[in-house]
Amino acid sequence: MQSPLSSVHRWVWRDARRRANNLLRFAEVEADGGRDLVRAAEQTKDPLLRRLFLVHALDEQRHAGLFRQRGLALLSGLPRGSDGPANTDWLAPGERGLDDLRVEQEADGALLAFLHLSEKAAARDFTHYIAVLDGDPPTREVFEKVCHDEAFHMNYTHAQLLRVAPKDHGRLLWMARLRRLWSLYLRFAGALASVIGTVVLTLQYFVLLPPFALMARRAQRREPEGWSPIAAERNGAALKRQY
Amino acid sequence: MKILGVSAHYHDAAAALVVDGLPVGAVQQERLSRRKNDAAFPLEAIEWCLDSAGLEPEDLDAVVFYERPMLKFDRILVSALRAFPHGRGAFAHAMKNSLGEKAWVRGLITAQLGVGRDKVLFTEHHQSHAAAAFLTAPTRHAAIMTTDGVGEWATLTVGRGQRTPGGPTSLVLDREVRFPHSLGMLYSTFTAYLGFAVNEGEYKVMGLAAYGRPTMADQVRKVIRRTRDGAFALDLDYFAFHTTVARSYSKRFVDLFGPPRQAYEPIDLATPEGRRFADIAASVQAVLEEILVDMTRRLHADTGLPDLCLGGGVALNGVANARILAESGFERLFVPPAPGDAGSALGAALYADRIHFGNPDRDMPDHPFWGPAIDDGELARLAGEDGLPVADLDEAALIEQTADDLFAGRVVGWMEGALEFGPRALGHRSILTAPHDVAMRDRLNRDIKYREEFRPFAPVVPIEAADRYFELPPGGARLARFMSGVFPVRPEWRERLAAVTHVDGTARVQTVERDMAPRLHALLEAYGRRSGMPVLLNTSFNLAGEPIVNRVVEGYSTFRRCGIDVLVAGRSRIVKRALAQASPQEPNEPQEELA
Repeated sequence: MQSPLSSVHRWVWRDARRRANNLLRFAEVEADGGRDLVRAAEQTKDPLLRRLFLVHALDEQRHAGLFRQRGLALLSGLPRGSDGPANTDWLAPGERGLDDLRVEQEADGALLAFLHLSEKAAARDFTHYIAVLDGDPPTREVFEKVCHDEAFHMNYTHAQLLRVAPKDHGRLLWMARLRRLWSLYLRFAGALASVIGTVVLTLQYFVLLPPFALMARRAQRREPEGWSPIAAERNGAALKRQY
Repeated sequence: MKILGVSAHYHDAAAALVVDGLPVGAVQQERLSRRKNDAAFPLEAIEWCLDSAGLEPEDLDAVVFYERPMLKFDRILVSALRAFPHGRGAFAHAMKNSLGEKAWVRGLITAQLGVGRDKVLFTEHHQSHAAAAFLTAPTRHAAIMTTDGVGEWATLTVGRGQRTPGGPTSLVLDREVRFPHSLGMLYSTFTAYLGFAVNEGEYKVMGLAAYGRPTMADQVRKVIRRTRDGAFALDLDYFAFHTTVARSYSKRFVDLFGPPRQAYEPIDLATPEGRRFADIAASVQAVLEEILVDMTRRLHADTGLPDLCLGGGVALNGVANARILAESGFERLFVPPAPGDAGSALGAALYADRIHFGNPDRDMPDHPFWGPAIDDGELARLAGEDGLPVADLDEAALIEQTADDLFAGRVVGWMEGALEFGPRALGHRSILTAPHDVAMRDRLNRDIKYREEFRPFAPVVPIEAADRYFELPPGGARLARFMSGVFPVRPEWRERLAAVTHVDGTARVQTVERDMAPRLHALLEAYGRRSGMPVLLNTSFNLAGEPIVNRVVEGYSTFRRCGIDVLVAGRSRIVKRALAQASPQEPNEPQEELA
């Protein structure tokens, strides 16, 4: 199926350095995801889920290795030290790359619903990447291998969700969808707030702070190099002070 | 008095509880949250400390934060102003970062714990390090040096401490080197330049240094020069950490040392580029050592004291520690098991107890095992649920069986008692193997730890046998108690200790006294009866990117995911069974279980 974003994906994956950087970032995301799953395995009281989460974690670890290996291979063929192309992390999220998972706060059912949707989203994204990677068969092969496992992950998470929450799985899936949306909104809002904060603070820096900067630099020039004595009153000083 | 110490917000968050002058619990937040180097406010660690002592927050007499947050904020703000107009990014970042939570620690503690504002106290960052080093060491009167990246303004302090049994304690820091001149920042800058994560990869620089020659020491001496009063100063033209959060070194630094290593680029020591990186690591290590040795030598001359207590993150550099011990003139060097910021939680609590409240001195238990203890029955339950046979053995049989396993070349995950406080696994959450073959080291790197080949593994040996295998100077065995020193392996044993002998013929030895770790000591003796050498390889029980395991279930999940052959937790023992092992090559195995 042709993605409406296929031309964007094609652009993102066209440049070899960007491709390598994305793969190396995916490797970290997969490794992080693997650690989340290990934590999930350690938290659950359900032995079958524990075994499945551990195998899933091993898959993620293997995926991390595949992405890393391919990313390094791509990098090794490029001239060293040159500046990379524009960062496109947000255009090509990896698995659970846009989600924050607090495993210890999740019940088994909610976690399975969350994982199911994440795996589904990752499989969809990876399928799109495969479609635009005609010119790089080894990278395409990596995504195909990973996608194969994602299908298993989607299936087992769904099957287990039906087992642990037979009457509640639909609601849990909807809750997980809403949480993904909420998390997306928070991420967007956080990024926007950060940009606004940076603009305001940068303005302050240039408009309000120059006199203070001048004073700070003058004070710095008066500071002796090397040892500074510690005033006696600082030893055993009142511990109630924050400064 | 019941005093809680807290460190948080930069790296290594931790909590420690001191009751009537003695620690009763201390744990790093990462061991409970399972996020490596977790810097978040350590609520879980605090809860564990209080629960383990049966206390509620309102029972506390004081909660002591390990540094003065407003003074730190002052340094961050002033640094951004000094860098004007280049510090705009650092300024915006610092404001957002500090004003979000880090500057409001009193409010955070009162809100999270529900204690009164008047119970919240603050020590200086380096006072906490000094207290952690001096007040936990078995010495009455010692010189003190603390050195790290930076606290509030200080990056290195010296002073002295005196304890009177049952009486008052004095701890006076009299001189400091101030930010941005910092040995810790120097080392961290090279850590970043060499492509490793700052505050995490410094061990790797130290390990890599052994493969190189200090051919660029003169260049390093250009970026850090000695001042006439015996301290040092960084040439800030080579650095950028004081003006930006994006990188720690400047273009001039790159012009001097060449292109930096990219984080993902493997280090191949067979190539000129790999050797260049090793030479740079060796050079910064050599200059760090020479500065530390000189400064401690002067400190010894100033104080005339036989003992030195060393604190701060730089005290984790075991190679430098060994040189300080050998060359500074101090007879004994004490480095606590957690000299970094995590240990400052304990240091802050002890400082408040002895200095602020003036409570009488008490002898401190001399061990690192202050964390949560394992649940003895947990491994049997987990293994039973997964259909793995589990053996519950009495103490003597377990020791003998484990020694047999080790002698047969098996890799053993070993969990007992309370978790270590600090970055080293000292025998309660360890992976143990025979130390004889390089093949074993390679297997550990490849199948278990998944880490770089150039990083060495450490040996553990009973203290009474240490001198036979390792060249320990006077005071060396003490320094090796918490694995804080790197010493030569005796040449005649290097071949038989190949898995733990680094490329330069040294090892980061741990010496074990029976009193501190009786079970590990017995295991070493049992292994010695079989192999003729009571020495084992001891590495932390974790996989790459994960904190050291705490609970049995974490050890069990680690066992299931890597090449560990045997897991021992308390008196339970399980072995890997190929069919039960979840292998990365068999991703579809559970589908059969689903069917």
